[in-house]
Amino acid sequence: MLQAINLTKRYIPGAIPALDNLNLTVSPGEIFCLLGQNGAGKTTTINLFLGFLKPTAGQALVSGLDVASHPLESKKSLAYLPETVMLYPNLTGLENLKFFASLAGFRHPPDALQDLLSQAGLQVDAHHRRVGQYSKGMRQKVGIAIALAKQAKALLLDEPTSGLDPKASNEFSDLLLRLSDRGTAILMATHDIFRAREVGTQIGIMRAGRLVETMSPQALTASELEAVYLQTMNSPH
Amino acid sequence: MLTLAFKDFIRSSGVRAGLFFLLTAGVVSLLIGKQFLDRQRQQAAEITVYQKEEIRRNVKFHPDEMGLLLYYMPFALVNETNSLSGLAIGQRDVNPSVQRVTIRALEAQKYDAGLTNPANLLLGNLDFSFVLIYLFPLLIIAFTYNLVAEERENGTWKIVAVQSRHPFRLVLQLVAIRVFVMLGVLVALLALAAFMLGIPVNAAFGAFGLTSVLYLLFWFAVCFWITSLHRSSSFNAMALVMIWMGLLIVWPAAVNNSIENRYPVPEAMNTMVKQRKAYHEKWDMDKQVTMDRFYAHYPQFKTYGLPDESFSWLWYYAMQQMGDDESAEQSAALREKLLQREVTSRHIAWLVPTLHTQLYLNELAQSGLGNQLRFLDAVNGFHEKKRLSFYPKIFGKAPVRATNWAAIRVETFADPVPTRYAELFMPLVFFGLLFGGLGWIGLKQNVYRL
Repeated sequence: MLQAINLTKRYIPGAIPALDNLNLTVSPGEIFCLLGQNGAGKTTTINLFLGFLKPTAGQALVSGLDVASHPLESKKSLAYLPETVMLYPNLTGLENLKFFASLAGFRHPPDALQDLLSQAGLQVDAHHRRVGQYSKGMRQKVGIAIALAKQAKALLLDEPTSGLDPKASNEFSDLLLRLSDRGTAILMATHDIFRAREVGTQIGIMRAGRLVETMSPQALTASELEAVYLQTMNSPH
Repeated sequence: MLTLAFKDFIRSSGVRAGLFFLLTAGVVSLLIGKQFLDRQRQQAAEITVYQKEEIRRNVKFHPDEMGLLLYYMPFALVNETNSLSGLAIGQRDVNPSVQRVTIRALEAQKYDAGLTNPANLLLGNLDFSFVLIYLFPLLIIAFTYNLVAEERENGTWKIVAVQSRHPFRLVLQLVAIRVFVMLGVLVALLALAAFMLGIPVNAAFGAFGLTSVLYLLFWFAVCFWITSLHRSSSFNAMALVMIWMGLLIVWPAAVNNSIENRYPVPEAMNTMVKQRKAYHEKWDMDKQVTMDRFYAHYPQFKTYGLPDESFSWLWYYAMQQMGDDESAEQSAALREKLLQREVTSRHIAWLVPTLHTQLYLNELAQSGLGNQLRFLDAVNGFHEKKRLSFYPKIFGKAPVRATNWAAIRVETFADPVPTRYAELFMPLVFFGLLFGGLGWIGLKQNVYRL
């Protein structure tokens, strides 16, 4: 489970906060999609959960552990997929997966690793090709396989579908749904409101560091969600 | 995991090109070292034959006068060439390894040396010590400047930091892979050197190898420290190249310049002029003055008295002796200043590991200034021994044929191998631990930062 309690981050003391008093909970099996313009505080939220930033106030909890005071223990339950997955270009997809899985302390047999790559949607003939020859979508799939290999209880995604073609985006959505079915708590920062509506169990709209709107996507059509989003973005502070 | 990290490193075309270049440069340096040793060994072998033949001809052409014969006859002292000097040629290709001296005044003969290739004085030799001291660090910098920094810049480090339970240990393992590869190249080149140059595997070779290992570890420690500062890869590259230039070019040049200014050696010229003047002026002076001074130096020859003839070999060699005696002060000052240069360089080098390594590799290879000074001391002793051996025969007008000339052999000076290992290793260990420690602290502080 992921939980933000009054989570606040100021990069410069006294300045306007990049993240202001955020409160949210992502339970196992939920996909919480954070929407918002650039600079709204989505990536700051992700980085606070990852422990890359120290909060100015409040807490980011992963499986009940405060990330700031238990950085290593909290990471054991976490997996992360950035906007652009950069792997080791001289290793094959399979070798990258093996490397990152072993970093997390997992020793999967080769067959299991191949299976994970296939589950992530990477075609078999690419498993033994060097990642330097992969497209962005293929690297994203290896990134997902890395998250699968870690068997993480929570997954943080930062603009994961940015730059993916529609087919790859669709496959990616299916993957997320499968992960949430397994009980993974997923927090995804995205610009893609249609994808958010498709996979999200909750949608939060952020503006100027604040979570200004939280809603259930099932209650809205895609055009209604778009209207709410634009209205929220355009309304005065 | 280590295997995969190693694969990622070694599969990089840049890494393989760098290693190929280094190995090629290493092999070329060994070939140059082999050529040098072959030349030295050939000279040592030829001088034996050459001296024997020269003695035979001189005895044949000057069979009547011992004084005249010894005016022409040179005797050779060979500065034994340590096979390690094939790895660190130092000054051995500039200074003669064979000193041929007659029993006439010595000072002018000591520095009567030719240079095989003056261009080398400017460029230096591409010997193994050059490859070790200059090229290995460049490749270490190329292999480490982007460690973590580049992964941070392109985003890989975020995934690593989330996945890894021990990112600090991972960085140490990445450094260890690079250390392992570079030490592997070093060991391969040293093994090849032992085979190609016929270097005996003894304590000196062990010390040479260990110094090389410590030198590379020092550079890894410097690179580790810089990469731990959590700066960009371009900053790391710039900082490390500046350190390389500072430690290998600017500092040694500044130290050399400072030492040359602090210990100028006008005595080098003065000694020769004084020796020549002291000898030549005696032709116009009263013989008694010369002989009194000569007998004051060698009281054991007083019985030969004052020569009556207008020319006598006793008087001639006494005049020659005066050349050396009257320039002795300048000669001693010159030696003292050269020694001071060596000692001061050594002291300053304690603070400059690159300079220290070069000096001590030359010391182990017996190719440095210290060896040259000890060889010149040995030449003094050798020359004196010859004088004391032949003076009584000349002054007593012994028949030339009474001497067994065939028994005269080329003599060899063997410089004792230095065994001050603590002094040799200490600065490298100290600075290696210092920068390694700083890197350790920096990495501990910064490894979780993005």
